[in-house]
Amino acid sequence: MNGKRQIGLTIDGLKVQAAEGTNVLRAAEEAGIAIPHFCYHAGLEVEGSCRMCLVEIEGLPKLDLACSTVIREGMVVRTSTDRVREARKDILEFLLAEHPLDCPICDKAGECRLQDYYDRHGLTASGMVEPRERRDKKAPIGRGLILDRERCVLCTRCVRFLRQVTGTGELGIFERAVRSEVGIYDGVPVDNNYSGNLVDICPVGAITSGDFRFKTRAWFLARRPSVCPHCSRGCAVVIESVSGYPLANGERRVYRVTARENPAVNGFWICDLGRDGRHDIDDGRHGAVMEKGAPLKGLSWQKALADVAAGIRAVPGPERSAKVAVILNSRLTCEELALAKGLFVSGLGLGNVFFADRKPGPADSLLLTADRAPNGKGVLDAGFSPRLPGLGDLAAAEVLLLFGPHLLEHFGEEEVARALAGVPSKYLFAAHTGPLDRLADTVFPVAVPAEKSGTYINVEGIRQPFACAVRPPFGVVPEGAILSCLANALGFNAGDADGR
Amino acid sequence: MSYAPTPAALQKIEETIALYPERSAALLPVLHVIQDRSGFISPEAESWVAGKLGILPVRVREVVSFYTMFRRSPGGRSTLQVCHNVSCALAGAEDILRFICEKLGIAPGETTPDGAISLVTVECLGNCDHAPCLQVDGVDHGPATPETVAALIEELRAHA
Amino acid sequence: MPENGVRLLPVDDDSWRLEAYLRRGGYETARKVLTSMAPADVIAEVRQASLRGRGGAGFPAGVKWGFVPQGGAAPKYLCVNADEAEPGTFKDRLVLLRAPHQLLEGMLITAFAVGIRTAFVYVRGEYVRVARRLEEAIAEALAAGYVGPHVFGTDLGLDVVVHHGAGAYICGEETALLESLEGRRGQPRVRPPFPAVVGLFRSPTVINNVETLATVPQILARGADGFLGRGLPKDGGTRLYCVSGAVRRPGTYELAVGTPLRQIIEVHAGGTPQGRSIKAVIPGGLSAPVLMPGEIDVAMDVDSLARAGSMLGSAGIVVIPDGTPMLDVLHATARFYAHESCGKCTPCRIGTAWILKIVERLRRGGGRPADLDLILRLADGIRGRTLCPLGDGAAMPIRALVTKFRGELEQAVLR
Repeated sequence: MNGKRQIGLTIDGLKVQAAEGTNVLRAAEEAGIAIPHFCYHAGLEVEGSCRMCLVEIEGLPKLDLACSTVIREGMVVRTSTDRVREARKDILEFLLAEHPLDCPICDKAGECRLQDYYDRHGLTASGMVEPRERRDKKAPIGRGLILDRERCVLCTRCVRFLRQVTGTGELGIFERAVRSEVGIYDGVPVDNNYSGNLVDICPVGAITSGDFRFKTRAWFLARRPSVCPHCSRGCAVVIESVSGYPLANGERRVYRVTARENPAVNGFWICDLGRDGRHDIDDGRHGAVMEKGAPLKGLSWQKALADVAAGIRAVPGPERSAKVAVILNSRLTCEELALAKGLFVSGLGLGNVFFADRKPGPADSLLLTADRAPNGKGVLDAGFSPRLPGLGDLAAAEVLLLFGPHLLEHFGEEEVARALAGVPSKYLFAAHTGPLDRLADTVFPVAVPAEKSGTYINVEGIRQPFACAVRPPFGVVPEGAILSCLANALGFNAGDADGR
Repeated sequence: MSYAPTPAALQKIEETIALYPERSAALLPVLHVIQDRSGFISPEAESWVAGKLGILPVRVREVVSFYTMFRRSPGGRSTLQVCHNVSCALAGAEDILRFICEKLGIAPGETTPDGAISLVTVECLGNCDHAPCLQVDGVDHGPATPETVAALIEELRAHA
Repeated sequence: MPENGVRLLPVDDDSWRLEAYLRRGGYETARKVLTSMAPADVIAEVRQASLRGRGGAGFPAGVKWGFVPQGGAAPKYLCVNADEAEPGTFKDRLVLLRAPHQLLEGMLITAFAVGIRTAFVYVRGEYVRVARRLEEAIAEALAAGYVGPHVFGTDLGLDVVVHHGAGAYICGEETALLESLEGRRGQPRVRPPFPAVVGLFRSPTVINNVETLATVPQILARGADGFLGRGLPKDGGTRLYCVSGAVRRPGTYELAVGTPLRQIIEVHAGGTPQGRSIKAVIPGGLSAPVLMPGEIDVAMDVDSLARAGSMLGSAGIVVIPDGTPMLDVLHATARFYAHESCGKCTPCRIGTAWILKIVERLRRGGGRPADLDLILRLADGIRGRTLCPLGDGAAMPIRALVTKFRGELEQAVLR
């Protein structure tokens, strides 16, 4: 409890406790009782316009809104009486009268509140024989978002989100009465880094993403939680994917990254950078070990790693510290960093352990941090003092292990090529194809964070464990597996890794 | 083509804004000042007002499209409003409306070709004891008869 | 006629000026109140007088004033609701045209009682000449020191700003009025919080109807009991009844609260014209359920009409004569609410439009009696479910028309 007084009330016969100031809808939700609603959203100010959350409150003659009624000691709430069901059915019937029967072609099917509520209340066809209002069904409103005004139920979540959360206010409501419609001002489309949340919060298929439109069906998607790796905020996300047919070599595809609620980190929202990060999972991935720039099917990474171990062993013990260089990155999980520390620092006693990360970018006032790596704090927590290598450090190495492609954000391709030209053994561990591939002797295909299990520590020091949300393609492995295998090959017990 | 008020209009606008503790509250009165002079609110005027009051243009469009008295396109020099609510209907508003449509040669919602008169039907004007009621150029007329209406139209055409 | 002849409304159009108002004792009550009474006593007096709001809701004014938290640094506001748009109502127009100073005096007393320094008069946009008259009266009062800083040499100052609406019946609803005054679409707010606590510009605000405020000086002049005695125990004083439709003398009548409806129509408004009879009467503006000829002996006060299944509302009486097709009345009613719905909440936005679509189809000739049942069902779907009273204001009269004139409507539909 955060210091707020607890209030006792009864909901559907259940005695519940909730913090003072909580509304009935939220108190019910916390007690496991779902009250249907459209316009209410815990991250936005109460609107009270959809009228769907009307409930019976003992002592009051009319039905009252659960979203705007604050709980009082001893309140008795009933959410499922005949009167309440009747009211919900009437609201749904009104909505259905002006709603197109688009379910067969609507992306929201399967995760649509209107559909779910109709289903629960036994409504199928509209009773209205009069002509429905006809409106624009494909209005682009910015950032690839499409507005279907016939589907819109005027819950105003989108308008309120842009006014109350991003403060950018691109959407408004025009006209009056049944002609009311959501829209943008001419030439001023939605344009902010949180536009994707509009699709998440739209309770129906009125706002859809051009990126997702017509691509798949919600019920085909496997949804697994993960943590976004594109900055150090570590927003809670859901990776939504389809594993593809046939099982073995079928194309796996991540269709969407959506927001997951985490009150301690990102609240209800994620930014568009994180959403666009779904491309990072599927696009431009290394699928096989590459030797001298060409993929070598049939060569397992374990076998290839044996060469790496041999290369390291070939350097005499006392010289390793100077001649074996490792470049790590802050996308590695805490567990992987512990393994790396145990192997390279404690085990091999290397002095040249560096870090090359994405360059910082502009932060915004909401979630996005300037640091574009997810585990900078984890790096420090593991006991590293991260520093970028100099070109001289690269050139002086005899064996170079390079984890990640971000070296090229700090140095030009030509100068890195020159520096690496004299390095006898160069190994790259990267998830995506890139210019560094041709400079390495061997390229190992590694997993992206969505394919890994591990822990990140975010910008505020919050430790966030996450589990594998999509399985990596065959032959692709997390850096952790590589580090364990390498440690074992070098005679270290990976389980003795320092720290954890 | 951007909008700029005349010096007199600008003065009126600024005096109006000063009456309110928050600039944005002056939106409706400022739009009235502009429409009284221009006859309608153009997108350029919307942008100008938005800048003047420190609000987004979309907020201005929201208001212009919500209230019946604001026009988004030019109308006639005069807008002839005919009430068709209950008291006026009981007093023969439908007949008067039909008479006006014939006389002007237009339907409600339209403007005469010479640009003199726009015709609209409206809800209660608050003058029911003079039903059937009309209002044009801020003046109430009622009870309307074919004779009084014909004379009114003459007058409106003469001043156009 | 009210006893002792004290009228709110002068009968002519020239007595509105300050000098005329002063000659009949104008602003003396305010002077007395501001210089010798305590604000809390003023509120108590108005509460004792049972002054019910004259805008439509009938909420006791003194009780409403009592909701405003006293003290505090935040400015408080008075909003005068001059957005008279309930069909059949035209009394506030007359108060503004003929007794603007009485309104100003009432505003002064109210501001004093609640601790308010700024008042906005929200005048509907269509009342062009009316607003101009009010502005002239304010200028007169300002010049004479009856509004502005240091009224009567006290440290009460009252600024009055006339704000023009732009054509939206919904702005007569208190919180929609506040939204409109703040430069936004006139859409009602979720309550709580109520305007008395969080109102205009988030400050405590009192919103009262024009006539309500213009009645305040009478209460303070003659005392609560004097005012109360002219009306009924829970609904004091006299009020302005509007009569229009099929009567010989349509107009506004200042009568004791509780005067029987039949008396207003037949004695004061002269009854129906030669050869016509009453088919139905709307007693309190279009939102008030219609009454049949046998029901018009009802007393015209808030509680009596509520018991009769209708409402006093804005006291806009519309007399519907024999021969009027009730389908047309139903159409005009449905069309009004569908046009004026603000569109914020689901049942009103969609329900009023749906009902209108059905009624239009019935008029065109494509209907069946079952459509009347559908209209009733939709009206019941709206009733009690909406964000503001416009929903009920639509549902109740529509239900009354369809129920009370079912036979005629079925005939009209089948033809």
